Formats: sequence, structure tokens, C-alpha cells
Amino acid sequence: MNNKFDALKDDDSGDHDQDQGSPKDSEKEKAEDEDKEQNTSKKKMVVPGAGEHPLQYNYTFWYSRRTPGRPASTQSYEQNIKQIGSFASVEQFWRFYSHMIRPGDLTGHSDFHLFKEGIKPMWEDDANKMGGKWIIRLRKGLASRCWENLILAMLGEQFMVGEEICGAVVSVRFQEDIISIWNKTASDQATTARIRDTLRRVLNLPPNTIMEYKTHTDSIKYSMGRLPWTGES
Amino acid sequence: MSTDCQKTTAKAIPSTRRVTINDAAHMPHDYSTTPGGTLFSTTPGGTRIIYDRKFLLGCRSSPVAKTPPKGLPKIPGVTSPPSKDTDQKAHNGELLNNNITAPDSSSTGDDSQFEMDI
Repeated sequence: MNNKFDALKDDDSGDHDQDQGSPKDSEKEKAEDEDKEQNTSKKKMVVPGAGEHPLQYNYTFWYSRRTPGRPASTQSYEQNIKQIGSFASVEQFWRFYSHMIRPGDLTGHSDFHLFKEGIKPMWEDDANKMGGKWIIRLRKGLASRCWENLILAMLGEQFMVGEEICGAVVSVRFQEDIISIWNKTASDQATTARIRDTLRRVLNLPPNTIMEYKTHTDSIKYSMGRLPWTGES
Repeated sequence: MSTDCQKTTAKAIPSTRRVTINDAAHMPHDYSTTPGGTLFSTTPGGTRIIYDRKFLLGCRSSPVAKTPPKGLPKIPGVTSPPSKDTDQKAHNGELLNNNITAPDSSSTGDDSQFEMDI
């Protein structure tokens, strides 16, 4: 491998699996049905409880994990990702978050996703098709704190980009962790710039941390090996 | 008013006006508060509910925020369901986000920002 980007080619912020698994519609539908059955109890309308502080949007937590070493193409991304639950208020958020392991303590090749209700954490979702993400690679030890700050900023509407935010992901990988925030319109530079500025403000990142913006379509092209990875973002 | 003639130098028209407000009565009329005192204001496109980090962390300690959510799936190593496994919960206590041994250190100020998660 010439550079670390080769090694990480498959590991882009946790969405590499979907790139391999998505083309087969029939496979996808089957997985969706299974998911629906699992999650029917979670499909009812979530509303803030009495006296609770409502959020601007409802959100859903998801969890995914891939067995390291198993090629992504043999597993559909949708089969690997599981809903944890949805919430509509600040207090409901804490009820979930307080009963989840911190990302820094997750094992293996795992991701937490926190997306607006109705948006699946995959590029094929309508909300994500034309979108992209800021990704921040973190050395080990920082993910828990950064993830928390990221999602608090998202839930608290600190990004100020209208409807553009789709969700956030924290990806635990072998030698580093990655946090990312997805937005709907990759080409909207005013939005992506504002997201980047907010990230700098709210995340308290170590100096010299690099942020990269990637469109989802670019991530797919490179992950499927159609184009050689040149190390550019 | 002074009757002296004074020379003035040209200055750019300021684009923002800063107003220090010490009295709630002076707040502009288009701001509102939610119960709990979070400010939200009218933005182009309508009112948006905005919370800052400090406020969100403050909500964490309310009793309503602590009970395990209904329907939390049991994923070992990921979630801690409201189970009969009090042992497991205690064992995982430090790994969970509801670390009760340091309840306020993460909710106050910026000290926690500079702790390294080992």
C-alpha cells in the first residue's frame, strides 16, 4: 500500500458497506422487510412527553457492525444496521444516550448513526442521494467526547443550515475513529462552509485536525474500486 | 448640543450593532423563551428551536431523562437495557454515558473538554 488511503479505502466513515450491497434491489427489499418486522414496535409516532423540551426534529439512533475481515460485498449494508430507537425531546434523547455504550468503548468495526427520523443512514435515501459529508479522523481516545459534542450541536440546531442536516455518524475503526456529519446538498457551498465553521466551533478539536468534505457519490466510486484512489479528497 | 464645528473622518457604516442587555425587559419583542429559559427567535423560514450545549447537558439530570427508554433493544456491548442484570449494569457503569460517579463534571463548564478519554 502506498499510502494510508489505500488501507482506509474500504473504511470510509462507515458507509462503505452500503456501496457494495446496495445494487441488488431484491436483496435490499428482503432486508428491509426483516427490518420492518423487527422495528414495527418502533414505528409509532414519537412525541415529546409532558413537560419535556421538544427538539426541532425527531431523531433515530442506529447501530451497525461489520465482522472485520469479512468482505463487505457478501453482506448487505441494510442487514447490518439496526435501529436503536427514536426520540422527540431532549429528555428522551438522554434516556437513550445514557443507556448506550460510549463510542470510545465500542469494539470492532462499529458505527453509531444519529439521523433525522425518516432519513435512513445510507446514501440511497432520497435525502442523501445528492448529499455529502464532512469527515473528521480522530486518533483513539477522542471519539466519545467529540461524538457527544457533535450530536448535542446537531440536536440543538447549532448548524443553522435550514433543513440541510441529515445526520451524524461515529465510526470506530482499527487505528482511528471517524466522525462525520451528512447534509443533503453537496453542491451547496454556503451550507457546507457553514457546517465546517460550526464543527470547528463546537468540537474543540486538536489543532491541525483535518476536515474533509466528500460527496456520497465520490465515496461510492472510490470504494468500489472503479477509480484509483489518489489520496485526494 | 455642541455648537462647535468639528471635523470628522469618514467611517464605514457598521454592519452590526451590538447591544448589551442587562434587563429582560429590554429584549427585542421577537424573541421568546421555552419553559426552562431557552431562547429561540424568528429566523427566515420561521421559528427554530435552538438549545446550547450547556442547556442540553443540564437536562440530563432530570429524573425524566434517566429512566431507560421503552423498547431499547438489547445489544450486548452496545446498549444497556433496563434489565434484571443489575450486576452487568454496575460492571458497565463506567462505560455507559450515565456514569454516575462523575455526574456533573461533564455538564459543567469546559473542564471536561480538556480531559482525554483514555
